[in-house]
Amino acid sequence: MRDNEIDDVLKKAARASLSLDRRILDPIVTSIKSSLRPVRPLPAPWIMTTGLVAVCAVVSLAGAMRAGFFGFEKMDLLERFVVFPVIAVLVGLSANTFVHEMIPASRRLFSPTALIAIAVFALVGVFAVLFRDHRIDHFFSVGVVCLITGILHAVPAGLMSWLLLRRGFAVSPVAAGWAAGTLAGLAGVGMLELHCPNFEAAHILVWHTAVVPVSGALGGLTGWSARHLTHSGNRPSSATSPGRQDSR
Amino acid sequence: MLPAENLEMLMARYQQGDSGAASTLIECVSPRLHRFFVAQSLSRADADDLLQETWLRIHRVRHTYRPGEPALPWFYAIARHIRVDHYRKSVRTTAGERELDAMARNSHPVSPDAGGDAEIEALLAPLSDSQREVLTMLKVEGMSLEEVARATSSSVGSVKQKVHRAYKKLREALSATGVARWQSGGLS
Repeated sequence: MRDNEIDDVLKKAARASLSLDRRILDPIVTSIKSSLRPVRPLPAPWIMTTGLVAVCAVVSLAGAMRAGFFGFEKMDLLERFVVFPVIAVLVGLSANTFVHEMIPASRRLFSPTALIAIAVFALVGVFAVLFRDHRIDHFFSVGVVCLITGILHAVPAGLMSWLLLRRGFAVSPVAAGWAAGTLAGLAGVGMLELHCPNFEAAHILVWHTAVVPVSGALGGLTGWSARHLTHSGNRPSSATSPGRQDSR
Repeated sequence: MLPAENLEMLMARYQQGDSGAASTLIECVSPRLHRFFVAQSLSRADADDLLQETWLRIHRVRHTYRPGEPALPWFYAIARHIRVDHYRKSVRTTAGERELDAMARNSHPVSPDAGGDAEIEALLAPLSDSQREVLTMLKVEGMSLEEVARATSSSVGSVKQKVHRAYKKLREALSATGVARWQSGGLS
């Protein structure tokens, strides 16, 4: 059998009458008409992406201003001109992915899990090339402090990003959560690079980079919890009016 | 069936609160979404429920449609996630509840318009969920590869690969049952 014969069979089936019983359609039409009012479409993706990048920059700079720009001051020119542009590019990619996860059927560059992998590999590559101090002093005690500091700065970045894109979350909260967590984690890494004066390679490679996957996983978990709560507490039925769910 | 550009126009008017556009949109898109659900091996009762659930979601997130973008992938992306959510819930259903569901399905009357849907459902039965989904959008609904990729959050290459594998499976299945049987009027 050839492919065009299969196409003919599918087309024949597709040509069959496309109509539905009025008993199915009428309740949908009635419930939607009862709560119909104008809505404002989401702004262009580039506007939302710019907003998210700005949120990350503000959180990183505010955190470093409070804690001190010791890392930035200790870096040489090459390190500054490589580390921060790489983080900026990753933040841009993450913001773009997050925005496209919020819009159904939006064209996206990467899946959120691929994004985390790209961010981790890029950071590890840059840090491994630039930082050559191979001592391991107080690896765990100092490292955990940096990880927690990074996560603590990722949380406000994640919350502010959610606030900015709260009108989205139309399809997959888990995927959106992964992307939001990655973005927020990069804000945390940005703050650490500005602040942390510990340039031991192992410290930066492990504890600074770890902020991104940990924050991404926390974002995914938050999305999963949100989906679980929505489904367990808000099962739509034929009696549910869309107006009750329409808060926009 | 309305041409695709009219769907986009109707969607824009629906966002502006035009009730006539909302009715037309529901009447035009619902049969396609219903057929999509039935083609995913769902019972007609489940397809009816999911259609209603899909419209509730569409209504709630209608502001996420961006005027000028293709509307069909936007509808199917939402419908697809509703189906995935339904699948997750059904996996959690206990054995007893499944029996009750099965009884309810068997007692549900089949719509007189279900001929084409039943044919597609039977034809695509040998395929996996993702292959059925892609083939329904591409060959039955007439969407482009790019639109299917958008609706399924995947790449065009991945869609092509799924279609290729689906055709391979269908060739084997139809060779076994005989294509003439389908071309001369399906299962009936």
